[in-house]
Amino acid sequence: MIPIIQINDLSVGFKDGTEKRNVISSLNTSVMPGELIGIIGQNGIGKSTLLRTIARLQQPISGEILIHNKNISLYKRSVFAQKISFVSTEIVKLNHCTVRNLVAFGRSPYTNWFGKNSAADELIIDEAIDMVGLSALASRNINQISDGERQRVMIARTLAQDTDIIVLDEPTAFLDLPNKFEVVHLLSELTRKKGKTILFSSHDLTIAMKEADRLWLIMPDKFIEGSPEDLVLQHQISDIFKQTRLKFDPKKGDFGIRRKTVGSCKLTGKGNAFIWTKRALERLGFDTETENSDYLIEVNILEKKNAVLWQLIINNQILTFSSIYDLTRHIK
Amino acid sequence: MADIFFGSVHIPFKNIVQALTFRDTGKDEWNLIILNFRLPKAITAILAGAALSVSGLQMQTMFRNPLAGPYILGISAGASLGVAVVLLGFSTFFGIQTGGFFANWLIVMAAWFGAGFVLLCIFLISLRVNDVMTILILGIMFGSVCTAIISVLQYFSNEVQLKSFVIWSMGSLSNVNGSHLAVLIPSVLIGLIIGLLTIKMLNLMLLGENYARSMGLNVQLSRFIIFLSTSILAGSITAFCGPIGFIGTAVPHVCRMLFKTSDQKVLMIACILVGSLVLLISDLISQLPGNGVILPINTITSLLGIPVVIWIIFKNQRISSI
Repeated sequence: MIPIIQINDLSVGFKDGTEKRNVISSLNTSVMPGELIGIIGQNGIGKSTLLRTIARLQQPISGEILIHNKNISLYKRSVFAQKISFVSTEIVKLNHCTVRNLVAFGRSPYTNWFGKNSAADELIIDEAIDMVGLSALASRNINQISDGERQRVMIARTLAQDTDIIVLDEPTAFLDLPNKFEVVHLLSELTRKKGKTILFSSHDLTIAMKEADRLWLIMPDKFIEGSPEDLVLQHQISDIFKQTRLKFDPKKGDFGIRRKTVGSCKLTGKGNAFIWTKRALERLGFDTETENSDYLIEVNILEKKNAVLWQLIINNQILTFSSIYDLTRHIK
Repeated sequence: MADIFFGSVHIPFKNIVQALTFRDTGKDEWNLIILNFRLPKAITAILAGAALSVSGLQMQTMFRNPLAGPYILGISAGASLGVAVVLLGFSTFFGIQTGGFFANWLIVMAAWFGAGFVLLCIFLISLRVNDVMTILILGIMFGSVCTAIISVLQYFSNEVQLKSFVIWSMGSLSNVNGSHLAVLIPSVLIGLIIGLLTIKMLNLMLLGENYARSMGLNVQLSRFIIFLSTSILAGSITAFCGPIGFIGTAVPHVCRMLFKTSDQKVLMIACILVGSLVLLISDLISQLPGNGVILPINTITSLLGIPVVIWIIFKNQRISSI
């Protein structure tokens, strides 16, 4: 397959006075049609700068970006707007602007000098709103919808713009957890159902790992790419957090803070109660995994008909609790 | 219409209609008053209201600043400075007589440049400063600087120049005569036509520069065209009527409230209509005291416009948008 975006020896950055400051240097990579790519990196590492450069909102310092095998600087302005659409972190606040009005802006690369939409344009706009599931809110004012809905409106606008490539800068910033998942899932659906090629930046690694086909990990001294699962198996993901107090758990696929162990605990039980009791004990700093002869405490989960009881053996005392909360309060 | 019918001299309704249709009213001075005084004044009010409101709308959208307007941001003062430079600085060199057709065009163009210069300064600052209130304060300062430079120019100019400038600076709607209109009408029409061509650009600018660019807009060119239109509109009116405050800021908001839309096409047409109407009414109010007393138009527009501006400032604490 031929890549839709080809990036050759690209350096991006910005001018700081007369000095040019590179944030990302000598990047070589490509994007295949229909891919969902999550760009991960710390704040200030240059994710936005890279995306803005790809969307031609700023000039590269050196190197080239090819879209459909043609350097992006060679595209005519209006043609380029039919290839790539962009969603920034800016929150659009307008009084008296409906969801539909905002989505309709997406048609502007196709309309004449006065921006009049044809019947065909109107149909595309309706379809775009429908695709992000906002038909019921089409005539609602954009100041009166939630942040998650507004982000979906901005995505609908890119659909109305009808571009092969969509670039989104931090689409999950400012969103609550369910909305973060929904927005990224929507992007994944668009790649599968509409064949869109989508690049988005995020510092939400957990969510990106669940939906992206490929991750670009941008680190101060290196650039790593691959499917989230490959990166886990190659220990690339856990390497990111080497310098920090965070720890990646390859079994669960999530992150936790590295804690000081206060002692070991013998834990017996089964099912969900076991998993969540283990988490609670880990939270308090107990190691429940190492086989050990001198356990500091022992917790037994007793499951009776409708109730679960926690038995704690501490300092030769046996205590019974009816919730994890009571158990942890006592241990603490 | 009412604006033509009322004035310090009472003229019967029937005779006004006769005068407007170029028939003899029986009294020469009535014909004179209607055709040479009240009619030009009404036309000027319509032009000024439309021009100032449209330029205010353009500036609010461009700067994404709900308080922007030609008067508040010092654009009118810049236009005055342009005129002052011509009347106080150059007129002796060229021996220009005020009132001539050529001089009128020269004055108007100087006003365009003055307005355009201040607009450019404010734009350059707005690239660095994003705060609505800061830009506002800087705009007021630009206005003050322009006024100060005008005072300096006045101080160093000779009697003849000073007289011609003072006469100009007392300008109001009623000072505009037929020869002025010959310049004012085409100027405002050109400004408005360019303005109508900027509707799509303004709509895209609503979302901010990045979005506008990503949807294929040539932002630099658009800015230039919008500035051109704003400078022509605000400059032309200031050149002949003097500064008229707050119409440019208030009318776009009144239109947004009336039509509940952010579509610049609807708003621009609404600004032309509502702006003309508001200024005609202001002019009518300015004659209310009767007995030949006419209040300065700027006083009336301030009284009408400032409450709207205060309302925007209060509303703005909740939602910072246009």
